[in-house]
Amino acid sequence: MGGSKTASKSIVKALSKKHMWTGTRAIAEAVKLADVDVIAAYPIRPYTGVMNSLAKMLADGEFTAEIIGADSEHSQFEIAKHASAVGARTFVGSSGVGLAYAAEPIIVTALGQLPVVAMAGCRALDDPGNFGMEWNDVFTFRDHGWLMSWAKDPQEALDMTLVAYRVSEDRNVLLPHFVAVDGAAITHISTPVEPPSKEQVVEFLPPYKPPYPVDPAYGPVTKAQHIAPSLIGPELRKVVDNAITMAREVIQEAWKSYARLVGREYSPFVEDRYMEDAEVAIVTMGTYARDALYVAEKLRKQGVKIGVLRLRYFRPFPSNEITEALRNVKAVGVVDFSYSFGSTDSSSVLFNEVRSTLYGSGLHPQLMDFMFVGGREPSVRHFEQVAMLLRQGAEKGTVEKHVWWPTLRGETL
Amino acid sequence: MSEGPLIRTVRDVPAADFYTSGHRTCAGCGAALGYRLLLKAGGPKTVVLGPTGCMYVANGHQFLSSPYAVPWYHTQLGAGGAAGVGTAAAFRILMMKGKRKKEDVNVVVYGGDGGTSDMGFSGLSMAMSYDYKRFLYVMYDNESYANTGIQASSTTPWGASTTFTPSGRIKRVGNPRMKKNVALIIAAHPGVRYVATATLYPPLDFINKARKALEADGPTFIHLLVPCPKGWFTDPKYTVDLSKMALETGLWVSWEYENGEFSLSYRPEPRKHVKEYLRMQKRFKHLTDNQIEEIERMTNEEWDYWREMGKQKKIILPWIAPPLA
Repeated sequence: MGGSKTASKSIVKALSKKHMWTGTRAIAEAVKLADVDVIAAYPIRPYTGVMNSLAKMLADGEFTAEIIGADSEHSQFEIAKHASAVGARTFVGSSGVGLAYAAEPIIVTALGQLPVVAMAGCRALDDPGNFGMEWNDVFTFRDHGWLMSWAKDPQEALDMTLVAYRVSEDRNVLLPHFVAVDGAAITHISTPVEPPSKEQVVEFLPPYKPPYPVDPAYGPVTKAQHIAPSLIGPELRKVVDNAITMAREVIQEAWKSYARLVGREYSPFVEDRYMEDAEVAIVTMGTYARDALYVAEKLRKQGVKIGVLRLRYFRPFPSNEITEALRNVKAVGVVDFSYSFGSTDSSSVLFNEVRSTLYGSGLHPQLMDFMFVGGREPSVRHFEQVAMLLRQGAEKGTVEKHVWWPTLRGETL
Repeated sequence: MSEGPLIRTVRDVPAADFYTSGHRTCAGCGAALGYRLLLKAGGPKTVVLGPTGCMYVANGHQFLSSPYAVPWYHTQLGAGGAAGVGTAAAFRILMMKGKRKKEDVNVVVYGGDGGTSDMGFSGLSMAMSYDYKRFLYVMYDNESYANTGIQASSTTPWGASTTFTPSGRIKRVGNPRMKKNVALIIAAHPGVRYVATATLYPPLDFINKARKALEADGPTFIHLLVPCPKGWFTDPKYTVDLSKMALETGLWVSWEYENGEFSLSYRPEPRKHVKEYLRMQKRFKHLTDNQIEEIERMTNEEWDYWREMGKQKKIILPWIAPPLA
């Protein structure tokens, strides 16, 4: 008994710099470290915890910010957008239909080039009300100029939030940023998190200065005026296109600088594991990449050449990194938590992005789509079956069925 | 801060305009005139948020000129309240944290009746429940979605013919709904510091109300009736006359609610018959004499309440028997 006590003491000591934080709490800590000025809140599960944490931090005087409980997600995102236009660093967030309700301000925030950072706690869209995890809520805005990154655990969610501010506020980018975390699996599960120090963050994150603030101290800026399409319509779209293209470089530089300051290193766009000699690969995002990796590690011990490619960004989409990683792979399975009804093969959003990337690169591995939709999430068993199907596809050089709904009743892999 | 104290004569109105040329509003546009008066009241240290509506579309220009000599930012049709709160919150916290110089900055939303009384109602109500100072929401009410082609809003008066409520062979009356009294609803928000109604006549009335609002130490609201030649089918030269006639017939009630005290800004005594106002406008052309008498009857009944409010200095909700169509 004495031995186990000593052991637990030493674990406590080892974890002394770490905190057991949920994903929402970890992101709240990042918001505090970033000294955010204006926070706009509205409740919806599973993201809400971040606002609960922030409200308590502010009530306890841990930092100073305006926190506004809005009347709707639409107002919430408008508040953040307008505060950002004045020159405030802002934080906002939502989940599921909350994001859908805020669609209009979300879209114009990017077109207005305002570096609002939003947490998305991924959740299935209604109807019916469904607490399960799906990515379609965030994917709704995949075409609108928001940067989008997916964390795999609370630690990465915290780091990604700080990097999001740095990237978004860069003068060459000035675009808003979704830090997406899988509902429940990250938002509500505590794992050890080690936050950087306040000094490190101050050094990493310069103050936000919009180039044309909506502030009489700067001058009479007229922003987002109604325009004649023939005059500057396409040019305004091109500005956003250029900004998100330039973000690629800024993202790489930001993660490098973050690693230098904080000592935690990430490969910016994709995390590839066992990909060097992989014959089959699972491509996915978010926390279930950890299950994929667990299965891959088990299979590697049996001599199966399987790798896992986890995308950390969805916008800008890491096309080059994906092409590079999949160059010698014979079969690719995309583990996706989305749907795109009526699309080619009636498949899913991430799958279609990967397929279109591969088409452009001239690579033609066997491709399979594993859609975990409707909020019924996978277990390790599913990843084992995915790996088996991929091996069969790689051996045969063909697959009979491209699109699977592994957790659908009656669907057997 | 707003430019100085209340104005006593037209000669004392500041010469500087912050809503100037560079727009393409209709001839005789009441909302544009209201903008000019509002920004005279606000002065250079004012930020204006413009929800979608006439004053968004018509103030844009093919050649990228801007009529605003103060910072101006569009906000979505239903987002005036939220945009005002976000802007005011940013100024307050940036000044508090020392990230921006401390000074008074006015935050003014100039939103139409559709964006305010319909789509933006929830956000407006939210905005009126916070405590941001120097924050004024002005609803310019031209009594329809005028820019999209005159569709009824919830402030369109009963009987008006609009493209969504046309007078037809079966449905003769036009708009079957009674005008929503937005200012009374806003006055029911306990944190609101100042609520008023106004129109373009007399011009000093609106400028001074806007100044009072900006000095009122909290969220404030003004419901501004603005005649609309396009939607009311009137001659552009009668815009201000229509404002005057609306007051004299009692169809528009100009009042203030300040520190819990109600006061009438204008008493139409003797009150002119409503037909003098209605017959100036083709949107009411189809109304029969009986229907016009119904409006006269309702106006009469309502004024019993307004007079009583003036006497008691308290708000009492008017209740009048609905019109017989």
